Amino acid sequence: MPIRYDADLARFEAACTAEDALPLAEWLEATAAPRVDLSACTDLHTALLQLLIAAKPAVTAGPEEAFLARWVGPALGCGIPLSPPGRGPG
Amino acid sequence: MSDLFDQFVVEAQELLEMAGAALLALERDPADRASVDELFRAFHTLKGASGLFDMAPFTRLVHAGEDTLSLLRDGRIAMMPDLADRLFRALDQCARWVAALEAGGALPADAADAAETLVRGLSGRAAAEGAAAAAGGQADGFPWVTTLTGEERAAVGEGGPTATLTAIDYTPDPECFFTGDDPLALFRRVPDLRLLRIEPAEPLPPLAQMDPYRCILRFRALSGAAVEAVTHAFRSVPDQVRIGSVTLAPAMVPPLPVPPSATLLLPAPQGSLAAAMLAEQARILDLPGSTAECQSRRAAVARAVAAILTALGRPTDRGAVAGACGDAAALRRFLAEGPVEKPVVAGPPPAAASLPRRALRVEPERMDALMALVGELSVVKGQLGPLVGRAGDGELARDMKAFSARLDALVGDLRHAALRLRLLPLARVFDPLPRLVRDTARRLDKTVELVLEGAETEADKDILDVLGEPLLHLVRNALDHGIEAPERRTAAGKLPGGTLLVRAFQDKGGVVVEVSDDGAGIDPAAMRRAAVAKGLLEPEAAAALADADAVRLVFAPGFSTAAAVSDLSGRGVGMDAVRAAVERAGGRVEIASAPGRGTRVRLSLPLTLSITRVVAVEAAGSLYGIPVALVGGVQRVARAEIRAVKRAESIVLRDRVVPLVRLRRLLGQPDDERQRAADCVVLVELGDGPVAVAVDDVGERADVVLRPMTGVLRGLRGYAGTAVLGDGRLILVLDLRELL
Repeated sequence: MPIRYDADLARFEAACTAEDALPLAEWLEATAAPRVDLSACTDLHTALLQLLIAAKPAVTAGPEEAFLARWVGPALGCGIPLSPPGRGPG
Repeated sequence: MSDLFDQFVVEAQELLEMAGAALLALERDPADRASVDELFRAFHTLKGASGLFDMAPFTRLVHAGEDTLSLLRDGRIAMMPDLADRLFRALDQCARWVAALEAGGALPADAADAAETLVRGLSGRAAAEGAAAAAGGQADGFPWVTTLTGEERAAVGEGGPTATLTAIDYTPDPECFFTGDDPLALFRRVPDLRLLRIEPAEPLPPLAQMDPYRCILRFRALSGAAVEAVTHAFRSVPDQVRIGSVTLAPAMVPPLPVPPSATLLLPAPQGSLAAAMLAEQARILDLPGSTAECQSRRAAVARAVAAILTALGRPTDRGAVAGACGDAAALRRFLAEGPVEKPVVAGPPPAAASLPRRALRVEPERMDALMALVGELSVVKGQLGPLVGRAGDGELARDMKAFSARLDALVGDLRHAALRLRLLPLARVFDPLPRLVRDTARRLDKTVELVLEGAETEADKDILDVLGEPLLHLVRNALDHGIEAPERRTAAGKLPGGTLLVRAFQDKGGVVVEVSDDGAGIDPAAMRRAAVAKGLLEPEAAAALADADAVRLVFAPGFSTAAAVSDLSGRGVGMDAVRAAVERAGGRVEIASAPGRGTRVRLSLPLTLSITRVVAVEAAGSLYGIPVALVGGVQRVARAEIRAVKRAESIVLRDRVVPLVRLRRLLGQPDDERQRAADCVVLVELGDGPVAVAVDDVGERADVVLRPMTGVLRGLRGYAGTAVLGDGRLILVLDLRELL
């Protein structure tokens, strides 16, 4: 499973595909204060991205992969990382 | 006007359907002149009809389609899958618009933009050409570029203060996830990406109402690379993206956004457009063609002319118009003489034979009420039999018997007729399949021939509703996991193109739909391994499974066989959902597969949901019903053959160990005290294997109207509802899945 759910924290790992959209939607809906950790995510499908944009969970760690860090992170409110990307979780 | 509008909606739906079918036929055989003509006519008629209403984007799009088709008809362009894709997208868009028109009377707000992108896709022919045209000075096609924040400008502006950049405006098709697109991923391929704005394309719905498989984002981006290079990255979605070069002016004076180029075809003043359209209708009549072609043209022209005249405030008798549409000269004369001055024709209406067959729409509640009455009538009639029996042997009794027999037959006929009212041909659920197969096969680079058989088979509307989703899933699954890629097929000594057969037929008391493919089949050994790996089965249990049972594991919840779940089928609607849907409707699913030769899935459904066939069984003096769809057999089993380990009992049937449960215990009744040599056992097929249910006695099989539990009884689990037998006795129908 590219997304591991751990109580109120979802860890995105490696390439997260459209397959995860339904479980993610259900989890976001069922979790009172969801938090997500994108640091290990290398690819994020649009279906997942739009769920994150809609649900606005707290992002405990932004993506570290270069493309996601530069373009997707800001859309999720993690700010633009200092270049080169690769700051620690936080 | 509103009548005319309604008529437009109905006609547009028909025309779009026709066009879709013709397009499919044309793609299969690009030399099929009749289909080109039909397609052209459909677009042409739509253009004419839509021009009467305030829906410029619609007219614009079908006009662009018509232009493309006329090039195709003249042989100036060839039918390619890409072109078919674009035409299909245009048709889909029109269908969505017609649905919106039917629901709300107006096109959605984004219609102009949507038309714009689709028209571009159609007229651009090749994405590069379109991009070149866009580069030709359409900077103001991207008004948002002028509204960049200072921060964004700073991030973008590495190329100097007045840099020429390439702007990208990408609104993915909401359904694009289903065709495997990942819009965000496309931007990874954009060279020198300077800016990427990700925004919702529509107001975000609350999370609970969000459809996770519908794309609702819109992307706007700037790149430092040339238009051609950027266009290349979006070559798979030419109709959803606008690409053009923009100049980032140093000053922040926002140029007025120019409305989408209005020059193309927006309705000219009503009068002149109508006149042009009428002239066009006459021209169509002049076109050469076979008798059948001319006839259908005449009908279309008559419809268009009548609609145009009505819109011009000159409602004209349809018969008169149809009469005038015999040839071009007659029509011109008819129009020139002007039907305006003529008094409304007061003569007898045109021959009734020309009236179209019209479907009667009936509220479903009324149908249900009728069914319920017929059900009650059957029950009351059933009570007549015993009464006649008590009347003795006299003449009166004989007459009553004859009367009762006639009543029997009539009630039977009545019930049959009432049931038939709800029947519709399966064509309804088959219709989306050709398009689905075409799109999916194209996306997967497979060649697949779809064969549909038995579309005329009829089933209850409720059953069709149940059948739709599972059927789509099975077909998708067969294309995705069943039929192999052409290279693999050739290597295995098969024809490179696969065949998918969807066959429907009537079976005893039900309807059967089979989906068979000649693909890779399912390997039972792989299924066993997967079941163990997923922790669904212990290794020993898996090894003990018969091959057929191992294949059935695909229906187990949480099971997916493909090593890497593709984005196509892997979206939470597994085979277990297919099974659940079919079983909820009282049907069953069977699967047979031969590795290397193919897979066949068979869905058996009852003819109707309103009547259930049950076996009456007795336990502790009460009668219960078990749906026949679940019953695999009834037999007596000698007590000696029942093996008991503590309280768990089992029997061996056809070389299989089958668990045995006693209905009395399930229902919390005391055990049967009587000493009996044998038990009466009903073999019930549940999803995860057969179960033997021991009952006191097995009675008749009967068709009953199942009434769900209501009121305080609704919470009662284990019962599907109540029903009345033919002799008036009440039974409880068991929901064994819940009980076991």
